[in-house]
Amino acid sequence: MAAPPTTGPGSVAVDATGGGPGRPRFRPRRSAPAHHLPRPAARAARRGVLSFWPQYLAISPFYLVFGVFMLWPVFYSLYLAFHRWDGIGEMQFVGLQQFHFLMDDPVFWLSIRNTLAIWVLSTVPTLLGALVLATLLNSVRRFKSFYRIALFLPNVTSIVAIAIFFGAVFSNNFGLVNAILHMAGLPEVQWMSNPWTIKLVIALLMTWQWTGYNMIIYLAGMQAIPGEVYEAARIDGAGPVRTFLRITIPILRPIILFTVVISTVNGLQSFTEPQVLFGSNAANANLGGPGQAGLTTLLYFYQSAFSNNDFGYGAAIVWAFFVLILVLVVVNWRLVQRGRKS
Amino acid sequence: MDLSRRRFLQATVLTAAAAGLTAACGGGGAGGTRNGKNLTLWYWGGGLSDKVVKDAEAHFTEVTLKSAQIGGDFKQKLLTTLTGGQSVPDITGIKGEDMASFLPNANRFLDLNDLGFKDVAPQYLEWKTKLARSEDGRQIGFPIDIGPTAMFYRADFFEQAGLPSEPEEVAAQIKTWDDWLAAGRELHKAVPSASLINSASAVFDIAVGQGTQRFIDTGNHFVGDQDHIRTAWDLAVRPYELGLDAKINDNSWNAAIAKGTLATELGAAWHALDISSAAPDSKGKWRVAPMPGGPSNLGGSFLALPRQCRNPEQAFKVVSWLLSPANDARGFADAAIFPAAPAAYAMPQMTAGDPYFGGQKTIDVFGPAAKAIPAAYEAPADAALMARYKTELTNVETKGKKPDDAWKDAVAQAKQIAQRQGVR
Amino acid sequence: MTRTARSLRPKGLTAHLVLIVAVLVSVFPFYWTIVMATNTTRDIYRTPPKVSFGPHLLDNVRTVLDSIDFFGSMLNTLAVASVSTVLVLLVDSIAAFAFAKFDFPGRRWLFGVLLVFMMLPLQLAIIPQYLIMMHLGWLGTLKALIPPALANAFGIFWLRQYVSGGVPDELLDAARMDGCGFLRQYWHVVLPMTRPALAFLGIYAFVNAWNDYVWPLIALVNPEHITLQVALAQLNVGRSTDYSVVMAAVLIASAPLVLVFALFARGFIAGATEGAVRG
Repeated sequence: MAAPPTTGPGSVAVDATGGGPGRPRFRPRRSAPAHHLPRPAARAARRGVLSFWPQYLAISPFYLVFGVFMLWPVFYSLYLAFHRWDGIGEMQFVGLQQFHFLMDDPVFWLSIRNTLAIWVLSTVPTLLGALVLATLLNSVRRFKSFYRIALFLPNVTSIVAIAIFFGAVFSNNFGLVNAILHMAGLPEVQWMSNPWTIKLVIALLMTWQWTGYNMIIYLAGMQAIPGEVYEAARIDGAGPVRTFLRITIPILRPIILFTVVISTVNGLQSFTEPQVLFGSNAANANLGGPGQAGLTTLLYFYQSAFSNNDFGYGAAIVWAFFVLILVLVVVNWRLVQRGRKS
Repeated sequence: MDLSRRRFLQATVLTAAAAGLTAACGGGGAGGTRNGKNLTLWYWGGGLSDKVVKDAEAHFTEVTLKSAQIGGDFKQKLLTTLTGGQSVPDITGIKGEDMASFLPNANRFLDLNDLGFKDVAPQYLEWKTKLARSEDGRQIGFPIDIGPTAMFYRADFFEQAGLPSEPEEVAAQIKTWDDWLAAGRELHKAVPSASLINSASAVFDIAVGQGTQRFIDTGNHFVGDQDHIRTAWDLAVRPYELGLDAKINDNSWNAAIAKGTLATELGAAWHALDISSAAPDSKGKWRVAPMPGGPSNLGGSFLALPRQCRNPEQAFKVVSWLLSPANDARGFADAAIFPAAPAAYAMPQMTAGDPYFGGQKTIDVFGPAAKAIPAAYEAPADAALMARYKTELTNVETKGKKPDDAWKDAVAQAKQIAQRQGVR
Repeated sequence: MTRTARSLRPKGLTAHLVLIVAVLVSVFPFYWTIVMATNTTRDIYRTPPKVSFGPHLLDNVRTVLDSIDFFGSMLNTLAVASVSTVLVLLVDSIAAFAFAKFDFPGRRWLFGVLLVFMMLPLQLAIIPQYLIMMHLGWLGTLKALIPPALANAFGIFWLRQYVSGGVPDELLDAARMDGCGFLRQYWHVVLPMTRPALAFLGIYAFVNAWNDYVWPLIALVNPEHITLQVALAQLNVGRSTDYSVVMAAVLIASAPLVLVFALFARGFIAGATEGAVRG
């Protein structure tokens, strides 16, 4: 989950748990963070726009930077996607040509498949593992903060460092994992050659980094569940598994939904992991590893735009990819919503 | 980007800056006139001899020469600074494989012919010099080095396999690629753990370079689907089919060479340093023999002067001093940088025996190869196309993809990239 | 299953067991990094490999310092991370206050834009950001790293949640009665009361800036101006990776942040949890 610059993916998820003050926090339908703007406090009386000048002034620094360095760039990249440009010479309008190329470009589609595979391979174990660990942690009394800190630790290490580490440990010929397999009399695995083990290693890396983080989020949600609910369940004779499935999960549903959405947005943006694992650059034919098995869409974008100086094509890749994420998020959302109703 | 938008942009950003959002952090830009007293030199680790660069800094007293080794993707960094227009180096290296992609924008660099390159040009190999000349005759690159290729081999393995092990004998016996493959089979029988090549891409790269035509011809037509490329492809796949391919496509090459699982390495002159630093324990076991099938070039770079250069005359003096035949020879002794100036080949630093290679005078192999390298046109998209073929070769090695299918995919993808960049 | 709470005790043991295994998994890489960094590459490549700490850390670190400007890039990283953290805190907190407590016209709309952009893959903006920096002449300088860090909406979003729940309206009303304007309410009431949230956001912004890789990789050029992560990745390039040296670099690059985190972890995680619960 290569966090985009300064977006702790995780950090976004923190507010997943948020509800307005004094509101019932787990009303299932409220899954989006957008739903509750705070009640205008005591000052509901209508006032003129100008009387709010301090507030506008207060938000203006952010919106200036945001407008110049985020809002405008996003739309300008769409404009770029209709051009051919090498970064130095003249920009040339080419209409939909870049998107036609995209359709016929097997590497683009390969990168999409890779990205999706890595995303599934990492998100599912991450979220399931986080849920299980959070439940266990919620049930124990001692060493709680020790566990939390130890399990959260992977999240503060940099992806670059972790990727280098995983590269060393899973190295084909002389890595630790193969040495252990060897000593156990098992056949060694060419981790960094096989297209699926490459994805597995990348997914493992992400899982290692993000499970503890998501666990903290779930734990926060669980701690907010009133004890009486569990008390009632116990009186009804429900066992721990049943309690978990029938009470914890439904109550946590909005949080789970939000972590799924955030993991989708962030998990699909993996870039650093394969880039560092395989030391990719323009001269390297094995962009994203042997067989390009670790070539994610964003890595392909980076190569097209910044290594091959094909900025128009790069912009087309990233926009096409964005549309894909959008579709995925909507489908995900629908599925979870339907699951809730049934 | 049209002017109005640019002005809008600058205005907006200046407003933001005025709002106090951008804290001071980092230095300012480079100013200066055309007879500036400071020159910066950019190269990458191993691109020039560090000793020669240091000497140059001391040698030139009229200007202050400051060198910086740029890590990472050098081409991207150079492009970034050229387009950014800030702290552009006065002298910069350009890697051989990137040169073709800079030529369409040759006006970003100074024409070295204006500065006197014409006079020294005959000292350098013409096929190399030509690669840094734009269609309208601007010479943007001054050749640093070339990469004449040869076959590095483990003499001890050859001996075990009953093959000749002295360089002259090997040269006599292994002339063609078929000879090489036959030797490989013998080697494999005698030393089963040893492979003939580290990966198919390495062979492909060299085999393509043995021809006079690459993927795009001088008329800007795609020819990557024709026989000369197909032959190189088939050759690259052969060791794989024979089980002689180590299939190393990750960063474990270092460990493999140290463990002695590679019997031959096909590579350029500078590859000698890779081998000796990765496997210091194998000192004396390696030798060098001519490349089967004829010489070919891999890599080798240029120095160029971006047009923002603050003192072109002095900068050119620095470049021609750095790359004089005498200093070229030192570069070879120091960092295995193989000179593009044949005059250097006769100098003592180059004719000395290399203890790592059992005292062999490797120049006897590389020297003749350097002069016999065929000249071929490299189109701007060449490196990007080459990458696709190599990728597919790797697919054969790692996924067991059928070579014929891989070939078709490689051609189709290469064709598309060529189209995207305006090739017919 | 019996119905008393005590019957859950055996499960408690299992829970501890599973958690300890999870802790081992999560901590093992730190241990193994130290093992690799304190031995030679040859020791690591040996079968069976060395599993204990070795005496070569200093040699390896020396090689790192010879190959890259480690302290220079660490200073760069420190400068960028500090500046962007301070700016993020200032800019986001005052905007969050306005959003949390005032119903000014256009508020919903403006805030909605932020939410939408929080969901966008930021790579959509990278090429134009690159172009803007190019025109400003900031490419290759550390300045280029600040604005994208600042343009992130998360901090506002998160602080707004906290302010709207954590700062009682009555207090603000009282302050206003005393004649405090917007700015003084912000300074004397909101900032002190949101200290835990600011601490959390500050750490997060700092960690993110410290660990950021993609944008510095694109925007920085000169070795004098690169950040730690970029320098680390450059060490790792090439087939000829000398792992013990690279891992020594990884170790000394990660250690400060991990130590700082371990020191402040309680407060940090509490902040995260509290923010979540408080909403």
